[in-house]
Amino acid sequence: MDILLSPQLLAAALITGVLYALISLGLNLIYGTMRLLNVAHGDLVMIGAYIAFIVFSLFNVGPLVSMFGAAVICGGLGWFAYKSIFQNLLSNSQILARLEENSLLLFFGISVVVQNLVILFFTADRQGYEYLSAIVEIGDVRLTGARLAVLIVGSVISIAAVLYLRFSLFGLAMNALIQNRDASAVVGINVDRVQMFSLIIGFGITGLAGALISVLEPITPVMGFPYTMSAFVVIILGGLGNLWGGFLAGLLLGMLEIFGVAITGPEWRSVLVYGIFIGILIFRPQGLLGRGKIAR
Amino acid sequence: MNNSSNSLRFIGIGAVIAIFGGLSGFASEYMLGIGFTLFMYIALAQSWVILSGMTGYISLGHVVFFGSGAYVFVLMWGLVPVWLGVALSGLVVGIGALIIGYPVLRVRGPYFVILSFGLAELVKNLVLINEARMYMSLRPVFGAPSLAQLYIAMLVLAVAATGLTYWVRRSRFGAGLRSIREDEWAAETIGIPVARLKLIAFALSGIVPAMVGAIFIMRSGIFQPGDAFNPIVSFTIVTMAIIGGSDDAPGPLLGVGFLVILQELLWANWPEIYMIILGILLISFVLFAPSGIYGWLSANISRSKKNAA
Amino acid sequence: MLKRLLTASLVIVGMFGLLGPAHAADPVKIGFSIPKTGLFAPAGPSQLNAYLVWQKMVNDKGGLDIGGKGRRKIEFVQYDDKSDPAQAVKIYEKLITSDKVDLVMAPWGTQHHFAIAPVVERHKFPLIGNTAASVALRKVKPGYLWFTTPMMPDNLAKEMTAMLKSRGVKSVAIMYNLLQFASENIQFLKPALAKAGITVKFEAKYPPDIKDMTGMLTKIKGANPDAVLVHSYPGDSILYMNQAREVGINAKTQYVMVGPAIGFFRGMFKSNLDGIVTMAAWTPGLKNTTGSQEFYNAYKKMFKGHEPDYLDSVEVFVSAQILEQAIAKVGLNREKIRQAVNTMTFDTIYGKIKFDGVQNSITPAGFAQIQKGKIEVVWPKQRATSAVVDKGAWAK
Repeated sequence: MDILLSPQLLAAALITGVLYALISLGLNLIYGTMRLLNVAHGDLVMIGAYIAFIVFSLFNVGPLVSMFGAAVICGGLGWFAYKSIFQNLLSNSQILARLEENSLLLFFGISVVVQNLVILFFTADRQGYEYLSAIVEIGDVRLTGARLAVLIVGSVISIAAVLYLRFSLFGLAMNALIQNRDASAVVGINVDRVQMFSLIIGFGITGLAGALISVLEPITPVMGFPYTMSAFVVIILGGLGNLWGGFLAGLLLGMLEIFGVAITGPEWRSVLVYGIFIGILIFRPQGLLGRGKIAR
Repeated sequence: MNNSSNSLRFIGIGAVIAIFGGLSGFASEYMLGIGFTLFMYIALAQSWVILSGMTGYISLGHVVFFGSGAYVFVLMWGLVPVWLGVALSGLVVGIGALIIGYPVLRVRGPYFVILSFGLAELVKNLVLINEARMYMSLRPVFGAPSLAQLYIAMLVLAVAATGLTYWVRRSRFGAGLRSIREDEWAAETIGIPVARLKLIAFALSGIVPAMVGAIFIMRSGIFQPGDAFNPIVSFTIVTMAIIGGSDDAPGPLLGVGFLVILQELLWANWPEIYMIILGILLISFVLFAPSGIYGWLSANISRSKKNAA
Repeated sequence: MLKRLLTASLVIVGMFGLLGPAHAADPVKIGFSIPKTGLFAPAGPSQLNAYLVWQKMVNDKGGLDIGGKGRRKIEFVQYDDKSDPAQAVKIYEKLITSDKVDLVMAPWGTQHHFAIAPVVERHKFPLIGNTAASVALRKVKPGYLWFTTPMMPDNLAKEMTAMLKSRGVKSVAIMYNLLQFASENIQFLKPALAKAGITVKFEAKYPPDIKDMTGMLTKIKGANPDAVLVHSYPGDSILYMNQAREVGINAKTQYVMVGPAIGFFRGMFKSNLDGIVTMAAWTPGLKNTTGSQEFYNAYKKMFKGHEPDYLDSVEVFVSAQILEQAIAKVGLNREKIRQAVNTMTFDTIYGKIKFDGVQNSITPAGFAQIQKGKIEVVWPKQRATSAVVDKGAWAK
């Protein structure tokens, strides 16, 4: 079992884990502040990937640059979604009464529209491009440039985002909202603004992640759904609304996936991921780092 | 509601069922195909309502029952008579649900939503591994009963599931389930056996989908884990039930009827954009009729009655 | 891309005004289903594009030759099956009973062929299959369905073993996806290897949603086999291509099953693909074939320089050529077409094809290798456009 000590394997686990952490961050923000079950989350990954692909094919500019464009565009979509739909929605008591069902349905509808618009304009054909494909050696670890970039950029962005949201004034307001919605309005937090910015930031980070992913897998209109579900698994494991918890759960899931598979055999990958997920929930129904019952 | 209008209603319902049943004799194959889909989703959505509509435990993994039923059925294919196989698949899955239900239902709210999804993925992957081990990742189902027979079978399941929901909604059992949705802690405190009620609801909501899954693979002619446990089925069930609205039998009937017929009209006429239209409709529903078709109808009817009076 | 945007906008505009009748003459209506949405949507274009190229090539000639009695243009009736076999069943029922198409062509993928087999049989519509491969297909009752694919898992196993032997391979490592076609290949490959005295030093299977292969590949590197045989689909093929280079897998024979024959994949890996062997039995320059270069040119012209998928698109076009030639011989009578398909020998871009029962009995299973950026057929030897060579060091 000396393979478990291989630094190559550790690097692979970190890359997988960082991607999980990065992708789940936005989902956690949006659930935390608004209690919305965003099942269209992965479609933002898809949009980010298409943006990176289009920018590369038109201007030969790589995702390390275009990811900022993807973040801005997806953030803009967040702003648009808030202004056009959620601002009103979140003040409608009839909808709030069944927010989980209704937001699930709403985002499912959005997901269907977005995927099929992309199919309409670009066909469902797989796309891909070559970028930073050369191998970089760091000690005993060898990574393609693109995977190394994912590791570095993913870690920097997700740690920075978590720190910012934990220590900045805006982050504190957001945290207050996550903890207790009604009380935060009472103490003078502009709930409307915080909600809008969490959609913008949440969508933006996810679009950025999508641009990074565009070099790792085929770009298709249906690539997002698996990311939606793994992001949900991560934030649930970390405890909904707990950003540090989500970050750690992402890394943990990456480790579990890579090392667990190295021990048991790759065919058990998904059984392991979902089995352990379910097992943890059964013994800790609030997630690993959840804080008891979430206030409504 | 007086007795005569009640019996009139039953006669009406009986007549509708009889007409649908009679159609199997002479309707075109294509029409029967649409009927089959309609009944299939009625059966699935009604079953979903028993658990999720009544208790508020939203299952995003109801395909786990559907797929497991299909798998149990295909394992018995050729070994036992077809309709016995269908019944057995319902039984086996119901028992399975009783076994896993207790720990699974300890988890609440959004945690349960994703857990139920994970459960379906877990079972799918176990089946996938088992099938690949036997090199049987694709099992053709040759010599299935005719479409007319499958149509009737699905009609029976749709009626059974609707009846079950109707009955549960009006029973003490159903009242207990709804008290869980309102406030599980309070229900427990006043002595309602919430754990047992949830467990029974979980098993009840799994039996019919298992049988639907069994019949479905006779229609598609093939069992493959990826198709049988397709998450889209779960999402479709939830969508139809919520659009119908309500925790009572008419809700899913309205939701499924509306969406299935609409889809049929759309995909044939606008194959390029029918999914987009459908998505826009889903979004509009949440925005303009958040309590579903049934809720919207009842609100408007009571309002017009008030106006008339 | 702009053109695509424009067409898409036109479609939206088109739905508001009624689209006028497409052809003044009386066209032949041919129906099929395509996965435009859902799980298999990304695989759909390989098939649809080949149908469209065929339609254009035939219509540019003035239309289908109907048994020597004049020509009629082709009109397609196509619906999205949402990657759902039951929806495909419904679509073929609709095509036949309500749209009253003259003929039907194949849906995408093995499971959809199984699903619609009873429909075409009940209505006596001949259907020449493509993009379906499984030994279970042979259990389909002969009659109205035929399968053009040479890539049956048992034949692939035979040819793979022969190729490995010819290259002096003594040991292999096997990785495979749990999905049907990949695992079915292993069922036949392992006994064939054992019989040939080739040892399997490492074997691992993985689920379709695998995210990383580093563990498996590290073990393979340690086992140091002569050949690595990866039975994968496009997504997992990409994982292999990236991580095999990272880990430094340097076997002289590396087989990546599905992916390298598709254009986007070659765009992603370019020179790193040199030396990789893949499942494909065609290239534009293939000798003793009919229409290969014309198909290739027409495809590239129609899809702005994109190449056809050397596996799926090719097989789809082959099935269309068979239908075209059967119609040219006997006209549109479906019973006569059935007899013609059963008895005729067809000239296709795969070469000569004849059916024995439901199965293509002439074209052998084969492999291609990417050599200097081009796809060359390297196996079996009598069809090869180039000899199979050792995979050199990774380019980058």
